[in-house]
Amino acid sequence: MNSAKALRSLYKSSPYSQTPLCDFLLPSFTQVTSRRDYASITTSSESPKTEPAPEALKSETTAKRRRPLTKEQQQFLDSALRVNQAGELAAVLIYRHQTPPITRSHPHLRPLMHHMYSQEAGHFSTFNALLAKHRIRPTAMYPVWTAAASTLGWVTGLMGREAAMACTEAVETEIGGHYNGQVRVLLSWLKEMEEKGEEVGEELRELVDTLKRIRDEELEHLDEAVGEGAKEARPYELLNRAIRSGCKGAIWISERV
Amino acid sequence: MSIFRLLQATCSKPPSRLYSSSNFVPSCGLSCGRFYHSYEHDRPPPFSPTEDRILSAALSHVPTHGFTTTALTQGARAAGYLDISTNLFPAGPFSIVNYHLVTQRLALAKDVTPARHDPIKIPTNINKLILRRLHANKAIIHRWQEALALLATPTRLPTSLRELALLSDEILFLAGSTDVTSVWYTNRAGLAVIYASAELFMTTDTSENFVETEEFLARRLEEGEKIKSFVGGVGTWAGIQAGGFVDGMRSKGVRI
Repeated sequence: MNSAKALRSLYKSSPYSQTPLCDFLLPSFTQVTSRRDYASITTSSESPKTEPAPEALKSETTAKRRRPLTKEQQQFLDSALRVNQAGELAAVLIYRHQTPPITRSHPHLRPLMHHMYSQEAGHFSTFNALLAKHRIRPTAMYPVWTAAASTLGWVTGLMGREAAMACTEAVETEIGGHYNGQVRVLLSWLKEMEEKGEEVGEELRELVDTLKRIRDEELEHLDEAVGEGAKEARPYELLNRAIRSGCKGAIWISERV
Repeated sequence: MSIFRLLQATCSKPPSRLYSSSNFVPSCGLSCGRFYHSYEHDRPPPFSPTEDRILSAALSHVPTHGFTTTALTQGARAAGYLDISTNLFPAGPFSIVNYHLVTQRLALAKDVTPARHDPIKIPTNINKLILRRLHANKAIIHRWQEALALLATPTRLPTSLRELALLSDEILFLAGSTDVTSVWYTNRAGLAVIYASAELFMTTDTSENFVETEEFLARRLEEGEKIKSFVGGVGTWAGIQAGGFVDGMRSKGVRI
C-alpha cells in the first residue's frame, strides 16, 4: 500500500505525468480522483442536514470577477457528467426490462414501475442534453453498459418482485452516494469561489441544483424499493453485494474511458 | 570507478533532452478544449503572443519557401526577432503546420455560430463547414503535400490525429449534432476520414476554384450517409425482431 503511494507520487512528479501524449493515448489509471473519499451512503430521501449551503447558490449573477475553471475542475466535470449519463442509461434500461415480468405477476406495482421509469428517462435526457451542450464525449463502453444493464434488469425481473426491488435498492444506494459525492465537490468549489469573492456563474449553480434534485429522486426510489420488500429477496446479501460492486466497477471504468 | 562517475553524471543531469520532445508542439496541449466546455469563459489562447507573431509571419513565407526551417527563420526576422529565436520551436517546420491547423480550427469556431439541432440540416451544414475549412488551405495548397508528409511522420502522428479529431469534433458541434451514444465515436471517425481524403484530393486538384474537390466531397459525404443509414437500419431491424420474438413468446404464456 505504501509502496503504491510512493509509486504514485513518483509518477506525479515525473515529467511523464505532464506528457500530453500519455493523457491522450491512455486512460489515466494512476490519477486519483477525490470523489470516492467524499462519497457516503445516505438512505433517506431528505438532503443531509450537514450539507453546506453557500450564499453563492442563491445570489443572482453579478459583475464580480470571474475566473475560468481550472483544468482539474474541467476534468472533474467532464468525467462526472459522463458517468452520470452512463448511470442513467443503465437505470432506464434496468427499469424497462424489469417492468414486463414484474407487472405481469404483480399488477399493483405498475404505477410504481412506471413512475420510477419515467423519472429515470427524464434524468437520462437531462444528462444527454448536458453532454451535448458541454461537448463531453459519452463513455466508450456505451454498448457494453447497454447490454449489461438490460440483462441485469431482465434477470432480476424474472427472479421476482423481491429480487427486482433488491436490485433497485443496491443500484440506488450506489448512485445516491455517487451523486452525493459530486454535489459535495461542487459545493466546496462554490464555497471557495465565494470566499475569494468570485462570481460562480449560472452554469455551476444550475448544475448543483440539477444534481441535488436528481439525487433526491434516486433516493426516493431507494426508499420505495425497501418499502416493497427488497430486504426479503432470497440471497439478499449476495445480490446486494454483487450488484453494488458491479456498479462501483462500472463507475470506475466510465470515469476513465 | 570511472563507469560509476559517468553513471552518476548522467543520472544527476536534468533530463532535458529526453523529455523536451514531449512539448514539441508549442503550448497547445489539453487546454484547447477536450474537456468540459464552458460558455461563461473564453478559452485561453493556444499560442503565446511571441509564438503567434513569429508563426503567422512564417506562414506568410510558406508559399515561397514551403514548410521549411527557412520559412521559420524568415518569419522570425519579419516579426523582428533574431534568427536564433527559431529555437523556441524545437519541432521546426512542423510547428508552422500545427499553427495553421490550430488557428484555422479556432477561426472556424469563432466565425461560425453553432447551428440549432436539426437532423435534416446536419449533412448540409457539415458539407458547408468542411468546404469552408478546405478553402482556408487555398493560399498554401501547392505546398500542402509537404505539410501532409510532416503530419504523417510517426513521432508527429499522435498530434496530427488529435488535431484531426478535434477538427471533426468542432465541425460536428457547429453543424448542430447532439448525438451522445456510441454514434458519437463513429460520426467523428467517419468525418475525420472524409475530411482527410478531401484534403488530400485538393492538393492535386487543378480545376477552377476547386470545383472537383467540392464534387469529391459531396460524393464521399453521400456515401457516408448511406453507410450510416444502412447500419442504423440493420440495428433497428434486429431490435424490432428481438422485441417481437420476446413479446410473441410472452403472449404464448412463456414466463420471460
